[in-house]
Amino acid sequence: MIKVQFFSLLRMLLKQERIELSAIEGETVAQLLARLQKQLPTPFLHKLLDDDGRMHAGTIILVNRHNIHHLQGLQTPLNDNDVVAMFPPGAGG
Amino acid sequence: MNKGWKGQLLRVDLTAGTCKIEALNEEWAKAYVGGRGLASKYLCEEISPDVDPMSPKNKLIMATGPLTGTYGAANGRYMVVTKSPLTGTIASSNSGGYFPSELKYAGFDMIIFEGKSKHPVYLQIRDGKAELVGAVHLWGKSTNETEDAILSEFHGDAKIACIGSAGEIGVHYACIVNDKHRAAGRSGVGMVMGSKNLKAVAVRGTGGVQVANPKAYRDAALEAYGMLKENPVTGQGLGALGTPVLVNVMNQSGGLPTRNAQTGTFEGAEEISGETLASTYLKRNKSCMGCIISCGRVTKIVDNKYAGDGEGPEYETLWAIGAACGISDLAAITKANYICNEAGMDTITFGATIGCAMELFEKGLVSEKEIGMSLNFGDSDAMVKLAEMTAKGEGFGKKIGLGSYRLAESYGAPELSMSVKKLEFPAYDARAVQGMGLEYATSNRGACHVRGYLISPEILGLPEKLDPQETEGKAGWLKIFQDFTAVVDSSGVCLFTTFGIGVPQFTKFCNAATGTDMSEEDLLVAGDRIYNRERMFNLKAGIDPSQDKLPKRMLEEPLPDGPHQGQVSKLPKMLPDYYKVRGWGKDGIPTEAKLQSLGLS
Ligand code: SF4
Repeated sequence: MIKVQFFSLLRMLLKQERIELSAIEGETVAQLLARLQKQLPTPFLHKLLDDDGRMHAGTIILVNRHNIHHLQGLQTPLNDNDVVAMFPPGAGG
Repeated sequence: MNKGWKGQLLRVDLTAGTCKIEALNEEWAKAYVGGRGLASKYLCEEISPDVDPMSPKNKLIMATGPLTGTYGAANGRYMVVTKSPLTGTIASSNSGGYFPSELKYAGFDMIIFEGKSKHPVYLQIRDGKAELVGAVHLWGKSTNETEDAILSEFHGDAKIACIGSAGEIGVHYACIVNDKHRAAGRSGVGMVMGSKNLKAVAVRGTGGVQVANPKAYRDAALEAYGMLKENPVTGQGLGALGTPVLVNVMNQSGGLPTRNAQTGTFEGAEEISGETLASTYLKRNKSCMGCIISCGRVTKIVDNKYAGDGEGPEYETLWAIGAACGISDLAAITKANYICNEAGMDTITFGATIGCAMELFEKGLVSEKEIGMSLNFGDSDAMVKLAEMTAKGEGFGKKIGLGSYRLAESYGAPELSMSVKKLEFPAYDARAVQGMGLEYATSNRGACHVRGYLISPEILGLPEKLDPQETEGKAGWLKIFQDFTAVVDSSGVCLFTTFGIGVPQFTKFCNAATGTDMSEEDLLVAGDRIYNRERMFNLKAGIDPSQDKLPKRMLEEPLPDGPHQGQVSKLPKMLPDYYKVRGWGKDGIPTEAKLQSLGLS
């Protein structure tokens, strides 16, 4: 299973904190996002990605708490039992 | 002047009980922008850096910037600058709300308080006229009560900045609260105000702020407004979730210092997160003067032993009173936040000091008898009780009121204070975010996040994502962030606008308001000048470069958990780069050539 956690405005938009999906061998973060969008009734990808499918500046996607920017970006491969955390751009301080 | 700056300052001699109007030094205003920079210049010219912060010889300056009180972004900020009783460094604390703009509308860019009054007084300002009046009837009142009492004397028409009990009784991290819920929070500026027997400043102003070039100003304002509205952070995120959105971000990223920074993740983070606050005690958001971001949190707790209402907690408070103490009871944190606001205490240092006390207790260095209760991590009742005791100066609360460094040192364990230059670091672990550790070590007021917020690129990916474990290039990034922040603080604009607008927009704003013709580079040079001016004050005050360090825990105890498990701060690698990038000698002291280039020698 892949555990997906939604945070911040994404959680407010989707009105849910998390979802579990079956793991698919060799699936990337980008593919997971596309699969999620098909499954969820509310359009949400625009919160994380631009029209060309690239991450907005400030979008945070973590796989097992590691930022995919420092892995293989949206092409980061996923494995069974991975936890994926998603935050649309946000800040504070 | 009447171009951004009003062109006059108010000098209040508390010993003599007099108020005098003086022309603002225009040459200095141009070189130091205003606010933080200009007040630092005045402070350096007028006091000896080795002055005892609590002596009448120390001065307290409240300073607006040329953009304070104008429209366009979030232009309603001021700075309080003095020598800090907590750190011994220059202190400059920023606040928003409505008080800063009102000061401009009353005709003043800044107020310089000097000396010490024999009796409690407060300053009344009405459109260019000022007088000191008795405040014996206000002494001992909370910040809320003080504001209400003064407001009734002004028939409801004034903006007020005041201290609570913390500033009166010498809590080392007392702050100055304005508009009830906004605070010049860190470094103990409220303790200096209290030492002068100055309870409050109440101001009513009906004038405006003229700008030198109204057309260029309007264009700059429209551009900034559009960019802030468009930006997902300033246009939506900060308004909806406020700063507390960072609790989950930092916890998931493994950089939320927990239980006095013994770990970098907190199992109770979700319970104290911005998302949870928004679905429980948050009533609405709120803005400071002219701000379209509206990050303020208006909250209320009912049906709970911690019932109350007010504003906050903000992210740093949720961390300090929450994760740093192992506390996940959001109602207790919110209640302690209210107590701190009403007493006028910096929530960051308060929470970090409680976290430090909890570790001292668990290590057996301080006894239950001495504290008057047990004090384990996670004990929210004890924490709230100590907030009340600290606000009143009772029992062990007196020791909590000294801040974590003095507390830990008194038990022979100063290394358990998570501070630099005696200022507690805020809600980011220096082992998980390397550049932020460099910021803590080199910030001119001690470990602080709002001098060079490298969390923005290192964690949030704004304006671009940097690897938080990388050390290469961090010194250069930090210098730019620190210099730009010095300009923002000096201009009178909220730092949060910088998530949406940058140096080009600030250059346009400043030029249009003041009639100057600065390039973007000139503006950053002004920031560099301000930074070096503050550094020179600290050096002369005896805070030498050996103080550019981090707590031993950050340097020697690897993070035990999270994605940065095993990491320590690589400060020794970054610090020489930083000195070099700043144009300082290897010893961390600005070179004569550097000072000359900035007009500081
Ligand atoms: S962004 Fe928040 S703190 Fe800054 S001026 Fe606006 S409301 Fe005040």
